[in-house]
Amino acid sequence: MGILESIRAGLAELASHKLRSFLTVLGVICGVAAVIAMVSIGEGAKSEALEQIRLMGIDVVHVKRQVLASDLLEKAEERSPYGLKLGDADNLKSVCDFARRVVSVREVFADVRFGGKPVTAKVIGTVPGYLAVSRSDVERGRFISEGDVRERRAVCVIGAYVKRELFGFGNPIGKTIRLGRSIFRVVGVMRVKEVGAGRTFAPIRDLNADVYIPITRSLGEFQVKSEQAIALSNAAIDAMRQKLRARQSIGNSPISEIIMQVANAEDTVAASFVIRSVLNRSHRGIIDYEIVIPAELLKQSQETQHIFNTVMLAIAGISLLVGGVGIMNIMLATVTQRTREIGIRRCVGANRLDIIRQFLLEALVITCAGGLIGIAVGIAGARAISVYADWRTIVSANAIVISFSVSVAVGVIFGMYPALRAAAVDPIEALRYE
Amino acid sequence: MALIEVENVDKIYKLGAVEVPALRDVTLHIEEGDFLAIMGPSGSGKSTLMNILGCLDRPTRGMFRLEGANVSRLGDTGRAQIRNRRIGFVFQNFNLLPRMSALRNVMLPTIYGPHHRDSRRAREILSDLGLADRVRHSPVELSGGEQQRVAIARALINDPPILLADEPTGNLDTATGNEIISILERLNRQGKTIIMVTHEDDVARHAQRVIRFRDGAIEWDSAAGGVASNEK
Repeated sequence: MGILESIRAGLAELASHKLRSFLTVLGVICGVAAVIAMVSIGEGAKSEALEQIRLMGIDVVHVKRQVLASDLLEKAEERSPYGLKLGDADNLKSVCDFARRVVSVREVFADVRFGGKPVTAKVIGTVPGYLAVSRSDVERGRFISEGDVRERRAVCVIGAYVKRELFGFGNPIGKTIRLGRSIFRVVGVMRVKEVGAGRTFAPIRDLNADVYIPITRSLGEFQVKSEQAIALSNAAIDAMRQKLRARQSIGNSPISEIIMQVANAEDTVAASFVIRSVLNRSHRGIIDYEIVIPAELLKQSQETQHIFNTVMLAIAGISLLVGGVGIMNIMLATVTQRTREIGIRRCVGANRLDIIRQFLLEALVITCAGGLIGIAVGIAGARAISVYADWRTIVSANAIVISFSVSVAVGVIFGMYPALRAAAVDPIEALRYE
Repeated sequence: MALIEVENVDKIYKLGAVEVPALRDVTLHIEEGDFLAIMGPSGSGKSTLMNILGCLDRPTRGMFRLEGANVSRLGDTGRAQIRNRRIGFVFQNFNLLPRMSALRNVMLPTIYGPHHRDSRRAREILSDLGLADRVRHSPVELSGGEQQRVAIARALINDPPILLADEPTGNLDTATGNEIISILERLNRQGKTIIMVTHEDDVARHAQRVIRFRDGAIEWDSAAGGVASNEK
């Protein structure tokens, strides 16, 4: 009996019991669709995480200010102002000879105004090295220069989004804008930086809404505002303000973040240990900062991905197992129901192998049909998730090939026993079977 | 050399520890072109003999030669091949596959055989049996006589020399039964060897030779001049 003939018989058998066939393949459909949808979500999340971590750079270590819990705050008050300071950056620069750049960042929210409606932007006080560590680029004009920082010049570089909001298609270079209460001259516009969709674990935001000014200028202009961002009580702010005035010096100036770029990308973890020990000494053991290593985040995300994959595989395995049992069940029923047919076929010349092949191919036709429908449902499901949940999904060829092969394997494994049972039927008994 | 040679065949069924003899030392030669009717009460062994002749079952002891070749020890595949190419089966209850058209039913043996898978020959045989306009019908749409003619067409599709008919008129009224018998007679004239089990003397009358079974042995054989052939 030819393969084609068997497949045709299998399809005819499926078509003659439409509801039963559908219920039988439902398990396989669910299994395959689940595999494809979940792999697509996993792949999408992975590519998004990779993209964002690459955006941060894998050869950098971020040291970020961390808001302290209230009981620790008192202790920290004694050493006011607590948190990262410009002096920490200088300290690190002199100690860490493996660092290519050490860049201080001071972030403040302020209204940006050019005549009309104000736009709220993050005003980043920083130094020229920021351009390199943040992997950004200036589209027009120039970035903050060493001279700007030294002379505390009131100049700014605006992000692409800010430029569009304030100037439309006009040329902003040389124009003056208002940042908070002060006037700044625009010297450059940043190139548009692509960022992934909103959902992420990495601290990435829309960099196109930033405004960059010399860090020295930021320390002068936005002293109090920056402390407000820490969200303390009014009394605490007043106390801090007094202390600040008392100990005003550049070295004690609070900053939000220190970014260190290391010469060798493999040294990021080692660098983090050195940074920690340097800061612990100067901060007297108060951990009012956190160290973020994008390269480590990458590694963690891969580990998370691995766990996710394992769990997903187990779920898919179980649902395919259930689907397989369903197929076996229906095939056993079919064999019993078609005992007389088996007898007739044996009588007119089918040997045991012919019967095995017929029932095995029938099981395979069922699982393949289930697999194909499952692939379609899975792809549609992945699309629906992209559209409605705004998650990135990537339907990989691997997922399709693997899930389809597994469903075929399920067909063979769970179809084999019923097929063997069919072949073992005694033709004489079968012909008498009512 | 006879077409079929059955020599000293015993068939014993085991029901648990009890051995039930179904055939006892049966010897029977059937010549090419014979039209043989086998009669006897139920349980006399005639069905067992038919199963052995049809290569559906194997004798416990003794020899069964078909066209000179010993087939009593052939394996599953060898016997399936003989059933496919050398023997056509006709049953009392027709045994057609219900979800297939008459034509597909007739074609069924060809999918297990080596050649002529096209439907031309099947159509020829069907129209030869007066079923030219029933080719696309499914068995439930056919009368009993028509179903039996489709079954005969199926038995003829691989052009076997032997037809085994197990009570072919048992489920039919007399007139329709007579039609079937005359078809078998015609096939016999065309050279087919026909072995037919029947309960009815009227049907057996059409055969050239009649044997009677009782208690697993041949009681009476018309070819032996009405004497039991293996009486000791």
